[in-house]
Amino acid sequence: MKVLELKNVHKIYNSSEVKVHAVNGVTLDFDKGEFAAIVGPSGSGKTTLLNMIGGLDTPTEGEIMVDHTNLAGLKSSALIDFRMRNIGFVFQSYNLIPVLTAKENVEFIMSLQKWNRKDRDERTYELLKAVGLEDRVNSRPSKLSGGQQQRVAVARALASKPKFVLADEPTANLDSKSTETLLDIMEELNKEEGITFIFSTHDARVVKKARRVITVEDGKVISDERKN
Amino acid sequence: MIWKTAWKNVWRNKIRSMVVIASVTIGIFGGIFAVAVMNGAIEQRVDAALNEEISHIHINDPAFRDNYDMQLHIPNPAQVLTSLRETPGVTAVSSRTIITAMANTATKSAGVQMIGIDPEEEKKVLRLHNTTIPGTGDFFETKSRSKLAYIGQDLAKELNIIRYRIDAAMLDSLASEEVPIEVLDKLTPFKGQRFSSEKAFKKEMKRVLSLKEQHNYGALILEKAWSFRARSKMTLTFLDKDQMQTGAVFRIAGIYDIKNSMYEMSQVLVKNEDLLDLTGLAPDHFHQMFVRLNDMESTMAIAASLEEKLPGLEVLNWKEIQPDLAMMTDLVQNFYAIFMVIILAALAFGIVNTMLMVVLERTKELGMLTAIGMNKKRVFGMIMLESVFLSLVGGVTGMIISKILIGMTATKGINFASYQEGFEAMGFASHIYPVISTSFFITVTVLIVITGILSSIYPALKALKLDPAEALRTE
Repeated sequence: MKVLELKNVHKIYNSSEVKVHAVNGVTLDFDKGEFAAIVGPSGSGKTTLLNMIGGLDTPTEGEIMVDHTNLAGLKSSALIDFRMRNIGFVFQSYNLIPVLTAKENVEFIMSLQKWNRKDRDERTYELLKAVGLEDRVNSRPSKLSGGQQQRVAVARALASKPKFVLADEPTANLDSKSTETLLDIMEELNKEEGITFIFSTHDARVVKKARRVITVEDGKVISDERKN
Repeated sequence: MIWKTAWKNVWRNKIRSMVVIASVTIGIFGGIFAVAVMNGAIEQRVDAALNEEISHIHINDPAFRDNYDMQLHIPNPAQVLTSLRETPGVTAVSSRTIITAMANTATKSAGVQMIGIDPEEEKKVLRLHNTTIPGTGDFFETKSRSKLAYIGQDLAKELNIIRYRIDAAMLDSLASEEVPIEVLDKLTPFKGQRFSSEKAFKKEMKRVLSLKEQHNYGALILEKAWSFRARSKMTLTFLDKDQMQTGAVFRIAGIYDIKNSMYEMSQVLVKNEDLLDLTGLAPDHFHQMFVRLNDMESTMAIAASLEEKLPGLEVLNWKEIQPDLAMMTDLVQNFYAIFMVIILAALAFGIVNTMLMVVLERTKELGMLTAIGMNKKRVFGMIMLESVFLSLVGGVTGMIISKILIGMTATKGINFASYQEGFEAMGFASHIYPVISTSFFITVTVLIVITGILSSIYPALKALKLDPAEALRTE
């Protein structure tokens, strides 16, 4: 069952001096439960591609269909709402809300979606346990290590059961031990929750864990390997 | 969650928030306390005017107040009195005969209004009798058949009826008030001396006492040196009903002190029977009737009904009698609101500046929030709430401090003794009891919330313009 389809997606940046074809005719689709990595050198267009998949940027040409909804056809406010309900984000620099505790960060999206308190608490504790932070529920990000903060970010991304999670360089600021732990958790959650994970990464450890590796260069997909 | 996040964000940078909160606190406290002092001064003035000077309603001949012609009296006064006393809401009525006169002593003279009253009637309408300086007489109680007068303290000083003397009893009294021995030693050379005027006395005190001693003990020394010989004499000269000059010697049987220089200088009360007898006017020849009501708020309605009941007579409510009071009470509320709006507008700039810094510092975070699904309305709402919370914390703190200070000064008052003369020249007491209504606090709270909301608009709009993808790339 396809959760995401990209059909001949282009992104062209026009500045006064130069025209940059950041994404050049990408066609891809992703099934439910995939654990995929998009790799490529800096400037290859993978971040631009990820931004468009996440609805943070609009394609110049082509379609991005999430669960049969064309993202390009949505107005700004509808797009924000769509993101809230369907897409989870994990950022390179964690981007937790510093004034909220781990629990409050995870339940933030659920409160925006007006989940009732009981369901919200249940889901929050379930996810924090799944990422191994059940004893740090009331800690603020400043009291957590980088790896712990990223685990909270993963829990937050999964909180409202999105169609897929986009993780842009999630391991870039972590040491090797934290990276291993994080990847194991994400893999486990991918299997348990059946949520698709799409990474944009340089990290070989992420590539190794991924079951599908899409290589991008100069805005084009040059290879798309699925591992057994 | 937005509310909780906004509240916690306020305390993210504690020092910065405290600076803004402190400025709002000081601004609100200063504004409210200043208004309370002004309000207290005005309420005291209105209260004094209504209870000691003019009461609620005046009745007189329509042309009487043009030049106070003694022939323009109230026709059928008994009927008018009955009609007034039968009007619902009227608690008391007093009748007055008013003549322009000259008050003379051996050394000075002054133009006055001589007002003939019935002391018993008068006590029910005004409480002027409660302002009698103790030991100066019993004008309102005595049954003496002598010609007696009741005058203001400022007139008594003007006519040199009040003297200032330093004697052994006065020095002992100062010692019992713990005035330092050095000060008493400086006053001792003046023992036995009498000064004919306050000006002369103060001149000598300035010469011998230091500035600090004058500041600390000047008022007490003046009060203790004050002396008045009971039943001092004063001559009042005026025209009788035939426009012939006449007059009589009156003994002063009381000095009143109402902190209104103009009134004290001009209004001399005598017994009606004495005045009518000297002028040759008829026993029921009254120029004005003062009407006291049981509720000030009903003045306009009752005055309107009296106008209909008493055609041919002028009926004036207190706002028409003293339009300056009307201006103070009616316009001043609007002035207070404008005053607070100006203070809050100035504070708003500080809040806008702070919120702009907040948006700039949190560009990445705001980008993240938009990315994960926080829509524009919620982003706007969160920033607006932060601004409102910032304003409210400072505002509420300022209101609490001002409430406490107003509570502390409400019973003791604030003494502007150094400016006493100036205050009393305008009819205001120099000892002010600040007062503020609950509705004013509510108004200020609403204004603070509005300030918070308006201050947040520009910063919030800046936040909404952020592109999430670009914002996330911010370092």
